[in-house]
Amino acid sequence: MSMKDSIRIVPQGEFAIVEFDMVGEKVNKFSTPMMMRLKEVVAELRGSSYKAAIFVSKKPKIYIAGADIEEIKHLNTPEAVNAAVTGGQSVMNEVEDLPMITIAAVNGACAGGGCEFIMACDYRIASEDGSTRIGLPETKLGIIPGFGGCVRMPRIMGLQASLDVILNGKLLNAKKAEKTGLIDLAVHPSILMEQALKMAKEKMGKKRRKTFKPVGLPNKLLEGIAKGVVFSQARKTVLKMTHGHYPAPLKAIEVIKKTYGMSDRSRALEIERQGFVECALTDISKNLIHVFYLTEMVKKQTGVSSASVKAKDVKHLGILGAGTMGGGIAYVAADKGIDVRMKDINYDAIGKGLKHARDLWMKLVKKKVINSYEFQQKMDRVTGTVDFSGFGLMDVVVEAIVEDMEIKKKVIAQTAGQMRPDAIIATNTSSLSVTEMQAAHPRPEYFAGMHFFNPVHKMPLVEVIRGEKTGDEAIATIFELSKKMGKMPVVVKDGPGFLVNRLLLPYMAEAAFLMQEGMDIQKVDTAYVKEFGMPMGPFALMDEVGLDVCMKVLKIFKKAFGDRIEIAPIMEKLEKSGRLGKKNGKGFYKYDEKGYRGEVDGSVYGDLGLGSPTNPHSNQECIERGVFAMVNECSRALLEDHIVDTPNEVDLAMIMGTGFPPFRGGLLKYADSVGTKYIAEQLEKYAAKGAKRLAPAPQLRSHPKFYAT
Amino acid sequence: MSARDVVIVEGVRTPFAKSGTKLAKVHPAELGKAALKELINKTNLDVNLVDEVIIGNTGNPVDAVNISRVVALNAGFPIQTSAYTVHRNCASALESISQGYEKIKSGTMDVIVAGGTENMSQMPVLLPQKFQDLFGKLFAAKGPGQALPLLWQLLKYDLKQIKALLTANQRDDFFPIIAVMKGLTDPFVGINMGQTAEILAKEWGLSRETQDRFALRSHQLAAKAMKEGLHKDEVSPLQLAPKYEETLMDDNGPRDNQSMEALAKLKPFFDKKTGSITPGNACPITDGAAMLLMMSREKAQGLGYKPLAKIRGYGFAGCEPERMGLGPVYSTPVALKRSGLTMKDIGLVELNEAFAAQVLACQKAFDSDEFAKNKLGLSGKVGEIRDDQLNVNGGAIAIGHPVGATGTRLVTTLAKEMKRRNVQFGLATLCIGGGQGGAMILEAEG
Repeated sequence: MSMKDSIRIVPQGEFAIVEFDMVGEKVNKFSTPMMMRLKEVVAELRGSSYKAAIFVSKKPKIYIAGADIEEIKHLNTPEAVNAAVTGGQSVMNEVEDLPMITIAAVNGACAGGGCEFIMACDYRIASEDGSTRIGLPETKLGIIPGFGGCVRMPRIMGLQASLDVILNGKLLNAKKAEKTGLIDLAVHPSILMEQALKMAKEKMGKKRRKTFKPVGLPNKLLEGIAKGVVFSQARKTVLKMTHGHYPAPLKAIEVIKKTYGMSDRSRALEIERQGFVECALTDISKNLIHVFYLTEMVKKQTGVSSASVKAKDVKHLGILGAGTMGGGIAYVAADKGIDVRMKDINYDAIGKGLKHARDLWMKLVKKKVINSYEFQQKMDRVTGTVDFSGFGLMDVVVEAIVEDMEIKKKVIAQTAGQMRPDAIIATNTSSLSVTEMQAAHPRPEYFAGMHFFNPVHKMPLVEVIRGEKTGDEAIATIFELSKKMGKMPVVVKDGPGFLVNRLLLPYMAEAAFLMQEGMDIQKVDTAYVKEFGMPMGPFALMDEVGLDVCMKVLKIFKKAFGDRIEIAPIMEKLEKSGRLGKKNGKGFYKYDEKGYRGEVDGSVYGDLGLGSPTNPHSNQECIERGVFAMVNECSRALLEDHIVDTPNEVDLAMIMGTGFPPFRGGLLKYADSVGTKYIAEQLEKYAAKGAKRLAPAPQLRSHPKFYAT
Repeated sequence: MSARDVVIVEGVRTPFAKSGTKLAKVHPAELGKAALKELINKTNLDVNLVDEVIIGNTGNPVDAVNISRVVALNAGFPIQTSAYTVHRNCASALESISQGYEKIKSGTMDVIVAGGTENMSQMPVLLPQKFQDLFGKLFAAKGPGQALPLLWQLLKYDLKQIKALLTANQRDDFFPIIAVMKGLTDPFVGINMGQTAEILAKEWGLSRETQDRFALRSHQLAAKAMKEGLHKDEVSPLQLAPKYEETLMDDNGPRDNQSMEALAKLKPFFDKKTGSITPGNACPITDGAAMLLMMSREKAQGLGYKPLAKIRGYGFAGCEPERMGLGPVYSTPVALKRSGLTMKDIGLVELNEAFAAQVLACQKAFDSDEFAKNKLGLSGKVGEIRDDQLNVNGGAIAIGHPVGATGTRLVTTLAKEMKRRNVQFGLATLCIGGGQGGAMILEAEG
């Protein structure tokens, strides 16, 4: 087996079938050797008398997954990047310039470089198999399409459709790709080859460079004279969504604006190449690639070290408590085909859970993401009960009842008695000890933590918590179940707040001190969102979590961590003021009837005995005190308590559980980028001004970096 | 294969609701699914073990013609599970159990779900044939030249229909066809079910007061059973979409405060001048579903279930369509003979209450040597049904009669009450529109 076998020409009469089948890999990808082989194949085709070349993949469910990300990661100089991109672009040009007609017959994932390759072909046909996904996800990795994608896609699909794909990093299914004009024909998987050959016969001799033809006057204008409107609108949308933290989509707009309609191919590609080089070398791109690797890492993990431990398949999921969390868990599980049974104390409570799930699906029906039949199938998977009927069928039961150790223990013991001995109970507690709770289970090895984040349908993280007696099979099962539910699981050791809340609490507590010291709520939150890139600021976050919950957890932490946790006096007052946050529409912010956050509630300062904000601190100090407080606590959690094994898990958990800005690569990637030494110095400085809680941890001082280089 | 004993493991139903009330908007497939899911959960049943799902239904919704298959898939059964729908009017669900019984007894199958579902609120209003012909032409019309005159005709038809509706003239050719009314009209002799009951009332000398008294008894017994919590064994509450703010906890038909005075105030509905059948002494049109799990005894024991009862035998028989209410008297001897029993062995009876007059006529006919000789060709009466044996927890007059589901309810209720009273043999029987009767005999198990 050599690289020659990775792309083979199989003659079929006067046509050449070109088979992609990368040796030694499960997928086809455009690594350097693969590109060199493609160059050889193209040269061979050029010198041949074939009337058509049909490009197919021999991998199941994969056409060409894209460029080799590992290679991109290691390109460190502008020269290296430039050389790699030039090489790729020229191969695509050679494909485009072949004398015979070229047809890409796509079956499976066709992303990035793969998509750019098929756009260099004359004709494109794809199977309607669910695995077929065609598009350009580059901007999600902080780069732009560099093998001609920025140039060819707008030509083929028009400006509006291609910007939608490129700026959002979208992948289209076959039907959608056909509708937008990216491909010429979507067909049933069984007849893909048959139709490709038919197409070859029909189109023989008809080389073409497909050019998009807008339909209707408004489109003709927007794709032509008025294209400036499209570009400025796209730019505005990107800025609104990203606050300028993500340069790649902006760079893509710039490149497309310059090259759109340009007849000089090599000039257009040169502009694209320059844009690519500028993006690829940014830290942001490296960070986004890091995050991509973190998510890939989870896909491969099982949650346990031993390969012999197998997760149990979960078909029936029980949920105790049909509140917001219970209803949310029911939704994500049933959405992915799991049969769900919610138990609560009365039907009113269950009704709320059912409605929560139903409303979420109805939104998808309205957006035409699912049809009414799919909706019915999903809804039919959820039932409710006030007794334990059906619990003998349950493979896993998730407990999501009130956060009270004694009540939980009672219910767990009771529930375990109704289940099969090999079935698992998992608690969704956010603050109580899994190990202590486990004592109530007659078979504690079948008990674990499964901590979802609110809102469950949006937040991808699940902390899978290992209590002292939790067995490997339980961990593996909950880990796999989380993945089946479309979530990102991270295994954490039991301990106050586990990982994410342990880090978030000092951050939120610090915000209260900022307010106490005279900072304006809006100013602090805006700084976190616009300058640092958080999805919401700490005050908005506290409102979301619930101010009573914050206070309750703070007290638990104070008990566990002593002086490291200080509670600002305003928090104590807040507790008595009746402000619970979003849930009662009264918090740091005002809320409308639908629960949407409005402006800051000006009366909160007075209620807490504060005067008008004087804003004594800079935005930098506000951000550093909050974020560095998290880093400081993290150095203890990771290096002293070993709550998780590696910085990878911390970064994944913070991004997936709190929306920590992905372009920063995660909390610890960020900490490494500014340096732990700087962080320790700043914390020292803030601590010296009276904030003892911020004194740097010994672990922070002793580790110049969290990630080994 | 040898004949095997067939047992009933469990039965569950939705609450029954009078048509046009709480369940009016719930699709019959949804009702069936709700009952079936609760049956699965109540028995912790591995659905992969079920060989077949057989469901009775008479309204046959156009979007779920083989409703059994829809119910089974919606309830989470694997795609390979066979499912079909049966129709024997009022006895559709008894038919489903009978077929399940035969298949298990013969050894062909081990585990069967038999049930019934009906939403009588959702039975459609149909356009008369004239409209259908016109639509046929319209769909085939080529170009506006052909279509416009037809559309003009359609407009005229519409006006005629509005006139028919305004004058409430149901005999008018343009009056819409109300499926539920048509379904309750005998297609052989052309009279309404209520009118068949009128015939029985007159021929068997059943006064208005006797009938009302029986109706009152039905309400009182049903209300008492509900109050005593007997339905908890059988009825699973249904949460009402889309808001799920309301849960129908139990049947909404039985009236705790029903009285002879209130019943006396109602006017005869089917024979306004000389009749005695009123909405008060007839069963209401009803929505609901019921499901039952049956197995071979070996299978049930192997899986660790404690069955409710064994099916001893069943029988169906025809009778005069205009006296369809006497069906039970015809079918019961068949079932008894096949079971090797006589009426004296029977401790409890569930006889469906389509109409008070019809139940009372049956009771008399069961006890009549003359009837047995003249109509059944028997040497003596089938046997007495004492009041204290009959519908001891009330019947359809109070609870309701969702046509396709009633058979399952009768058998389930009977099996559970036999267990409570420690009765050896019980009879579930009902009259069938079109002139038939169905009967099933249960035997205590374990």
